[in-house]
Amino acid sequence: MTTTTALDTTRPTNATPTTSALTVTRIGHSCHLLEIGGLRLLTDPWFTFTPTYDPGEPVRTTIDALPDLDGVLITHEHYDHCDLDAFAAYRDLDVPVIAPGTVVERAFAAGFTDVRRLEAWDATTIGPVTITATPGEHGVHEVTYVIEGEGRTVFFGGDTLYIPELDRLPERFGHFDLALLPTNGLCVRPMNGRQMVMNAIEAAELVAVLHPDVAIPHHYAFTSGRLGDRMITDTDSEPLRFAEAVARLAPDTVVRVVLPGVPVTIEADDGTPRFRPEIDAEWSAGQRPMIADLRSRAGHEDELRVAVM
Amino acid sequence: MFTPLLLGRTLLHDSSMTSTSTFPSDLRWAPRVTEHDLGDGARVQVADRDRSQPFLLLHGGAGPASVAGFGDLLAARTRSRVFTPTHPGFDGTARPDHLDSIAALAHTYAELLERLDVWDVTVVGNSIGGWVATELALLGCPQVSGIVLIDSVGFTVPGHPVTDVSELEPADLEALVYFEADRFRAGDTRGPASGVIHANARTLAAYCGAAMSDPTLLDRTRDLELPVHLIWGAADGIVAPDYGRAVAATIAHSHFTLLETAGHLPQIESPEELLAAIQQIDL
Repeated sequence: MTTTTALDTTRPTNATPTTSALTVTRIGHSCHLLEIGGLRLLTDPWFTFTPTYDPGEPVRTTIDALPDLDGVLITHEHYDHCDLDAFAAYRDLDVPVIAPGTVVERAFAAGFTDVRRLEAWDATTIGPVTITATPGEHGVHEVTYVIEGEGRTVFFGGDTLYIPELDRLPERFGHFDLALLPTNGLCVRPMNGRQMVMNAIEAAELVAVLHPDVAIPHHYAFTSGRLGDRMITDTDSEPLRFAEAVARLAPDTVVRVVLPGVPVTIEADDGTPRFRPEIDAEWSAGQRPMIADLRSRAGHEDELRVAVM
Repeated sequence: MFTPLLLGRTLLHDSSMTSTSTFPSDLRWAPRVTEHDLGDGARVQVADRDRSQPFLLLHGGAGPASVAGFGDLLAARTRSRVFTPTHPGFDGTARPDHLDSIAALAHTYAELLERLDVWDVTVVGNSIGGWVATELALLGCPQVSGIVLIDSVGFTVPGHPVTDVSELEPADLEALVYFEADRFRAGDTRGPASGVIHANARTLAAYCGAAMSDPTLLDRTRDLELPVHLIWGAADGIVAPDYGRAVAATIAHSHFTLLETAGHLPQIESPEELLAAIQQIDL
């Protein structure tokens, strides 16, 4: 299925370099704001919590404070990736929602009008950006995504296990600029400790296959609460384990362990970051001081980066 | 200038919310901002971010003294904040008339947790404290992430009635309460005197009646989504271990731990073993 959505003409119109800037801002957990090919895409929205489903870190925006989105990518129906009850409050229900078949019905039920079903190896386009669903495995039906636009290629891993099918991505998509990967190796204790998510070492092994320029871990701060972490879920909440493993297995890839709200920009060929000034201008007034606060603490993130370079 | 994200805590009761069981993430992450006048014109604004995992430790009919020592141990060993309220009416405190059931008491503690602004709270309750913890969990209070029931009463379990202690002589009561009753005769400062237990009996009766159980409680726990750890003294003569096992079998996310060297008050008789059980669930 291929659908084209007209580009918003109010977007910046500076000359498109060979490869344009790519910016990703982790909102929290595996919810990222991805800015690629002149568009803004949101992955796996999660804005609320329950006592046993907790992001374990601040979620760095409210739904109202989100910038205008051009698309929403959902990997599967679990609450921490598909918080449609909350996200139904987003201001534009005509925004394209891209999701596997298991999510389509509930996306329509939440009021979204442009819901596009993608299964593994299906693709759709939004303006100049092509989104291809790729395989995933998580105990429930899950897809992952490859997002391509203006010379940039991103892999979004949701919270999949590392499955052999993912080894085929480089032959199909070539070079990856960015990989967003889960690392907590979540196991479910009442299911005899069954593993549901790739762990830090497996994620680093996948990095060694994809060879992205930059890899950002996510999905590691999740907690089920004091008792739930002992009785329901078993997770690794240390992102540096991933960074250390990548340093050994794929030393050419830079790992950025980022606090929610910290934008990471891979600059355009001409060195012009296209998106950051626009974000600063458009995000709500209440949001800017918070981002400024995070930037003032960027030393934390830089330290982590130094540790693995 | 740093401007903290200030969000009204009234969001908790926002009628526009579509679900009663999910809550905005920014609600719990909003720092508490206070300003302190330190004299000589020095005023300091402080944004307080607290990610500790506190305990709410609820006593049973034996009164607040029966959990005080264990509260100290729990706080020290887990480096946690431990709240040990005195149920209104116990130890000479006032009990308003409308507080006449365990469910009403649970509502009071839900309000208390909201006022304390604490999150990821594990509620630990012994005897009727376990009953209160169960009702609190059933309220869907967003601050409560799990409960620990220690020799809890409150459930109606066929074939396992709760022993009626109201007419028992002190020596007979002690024989039912302790694994080694001789070590805990009245006057032993490690345990409550039986006289104290009886002094609180009227308050106890006001909250839970003579039956010490609610016939609807067990069935209501079938829908409980929170993790529940049940810890039982093997020598409990008030509610037998099989009573606890039956409750555990009803609850979806439950774990049962038997303490060999304890009766109805493990926090007094085997505090180290109880602490280990709370900290180390072997799944």
